[in-house]
Amino acid sequence: MIDERMEEQAALHVLGALSPQEAYEFKKVLQADPELKAYVARLSEATGALAGAVPAVEPPPQLRAKILAQVAPKQKMVSLPARKTGLAAWLPWSLATCLAVLCLLLSVQNSRVKNALATQAQQISSLNQLAQSLQSATNDLQQTVLALQETNRLAGLRIAMLNSLLSDEPKAVAVSLWDNSKQEGVFEVQNLKPLPADRDYQLWVLENGTTPVDAGVFRVDQNGFVKIEFKAKLPIKIPGKFAVTEEVHGGVASPTIKNMVLASN
Amino acid sequence: MSLCAQFDFMPVLRFFTVEPAGDLVHLNKPVNSPEAQDQDAELLRQIAGGDRTAFAEFYDRHSTLMFSVASRILNNPGDAEDVLQETFLQIWEKAGKFDPALGKASSWAATLVRNKAIDKIRASQRRSRLAEEAGTAQAIANDVADTVNENLHGPEQARIIQTAIVELPGEQRQAIELAYFSGLTQDEISKKLNTPLGTIKARIRRGLLKLRDQLEGMP
Repeated sequence: MIDERMEEQAALHVLGALSPQEAYEFKKVLQADPELKAYVARLSEATGALAGAVPAVEPPPQLRAKILAQVAPKQKMVSLPARKTGLAAWLPWSLATCLAVLCLLLSVQNSRVKNALATQAQQISSLNQLAQSLQSATNDLQQTVLALQETNRLAGLRIAMLNSLLSDEPKAVAVSLWDNSKQEGVFEVQNLKPLPADRDYQLWVLENGTTPVDAGVFRVDQNGFVKIEFKAKLPIKIPGKFAVTEEVHGGVASPTIKNMVLASN
Repeated sequence: MSLCAQFDFMPVLRFFTVEPAGDLVHLNKPVNSPEAQDQDAELLRQIAGGDRTAFAEFYDRHSTLMFSVASRILNNPGDAEDVLQETFLQIWEKAGKFDPALGKASSWAATLVRNKAIDKIRASQRRSRLAEEAGTAQAIANDVADTVNENLHGPEQARIIQTAIVELPGEQRQAIELAYFSGLTQDEISKKLNTPLGTIKARIRRGLLKLRDQLEGMP
């Protein structure tokens, strides 16, 4: 039911006599009220009749063509804003073009940098593999060298077991280790009879076919044990045998054969 | 002294009298018959789809009504041409918004051009001068044969409409014309006529209802 106040508002609305604020509020009510909408539609027919009651004035004949001509080119541009002129019209397009070109250049540059980086990464990977391979080869060579050095070192070693030549001291035994490269050795003996103070045992290195070379004197403890490092008085080319003789204190230049107590095979 | 008393209403009241048709201004064939209304709705639908031929036909059917309203409000042929042009471009763009359930296409077009004309007055600061002139200038045609309604509805219907308008009480018709043709708000009408706002509202309401009742049943 439309009350009198709303009828007044509707009448003022169709005549355009409401203030902007009043018109805004009335339109909100109108949108939500179908009955009021139908009422306004009927009132609008009255204002339409009022409009038709004015003296008829024909528009200029040329106006029709003018309006139709404006419609044609605007057919696809009716919703576009008005065209700008001069710099204002070209500036946005120029900026857009520059940005597009810049983006294209950056894209190409980016692609090139990526390709270069990928190539470099492949090269680095190859170099790393090569370095690992070389390192491995180096390690192998070092191990080979060490093995050869060890083999060479062992080749220069002479180990000899010295057995007792005395019937009263059958348990006496000694071991001699000679490093020919260093011209030095280690000698260890067990169960050898201790000697009086005026007597010493003397160690000898025998080269094949040459004179025995003095390797120093030693004494054993109460248990008949001693371990000494020794050097020959003369250079040894090829160690042959080792022997121990009992000599006067301080040793002698040549071994006393009859006093030989230990000898290697 | 009341402002009403300062105006000479005789020229206006003289228009209330329906005079026999003199030299008939033959416009186009009536365009407000039920068939024509259907055609208008179809034309607007086609215009919304970008049909220039339909647009040209709609122009032929309603440009006289619209130009007449614009000329009456603006009282300047150049301005009226501008407004007519702007309004038809508006129709070209917004034809899809027309709802046949809310009224005739001719009423819709008349409202569009009326609003454009009022906007132009307000934009050009001519409103105060036109407001002063309102009520003294000729709004309604002397002869029904000179009106747009004869083109829209035919001679018989146009005469009924003209009679309905003429028979409105003077103060009601005055308030209605000030609002519709001069673009005055209810407050401005109240001040101009030195009449309470409530009275203006009541006059407008009663006048439009009476006019609507008179026209009810017309095609």
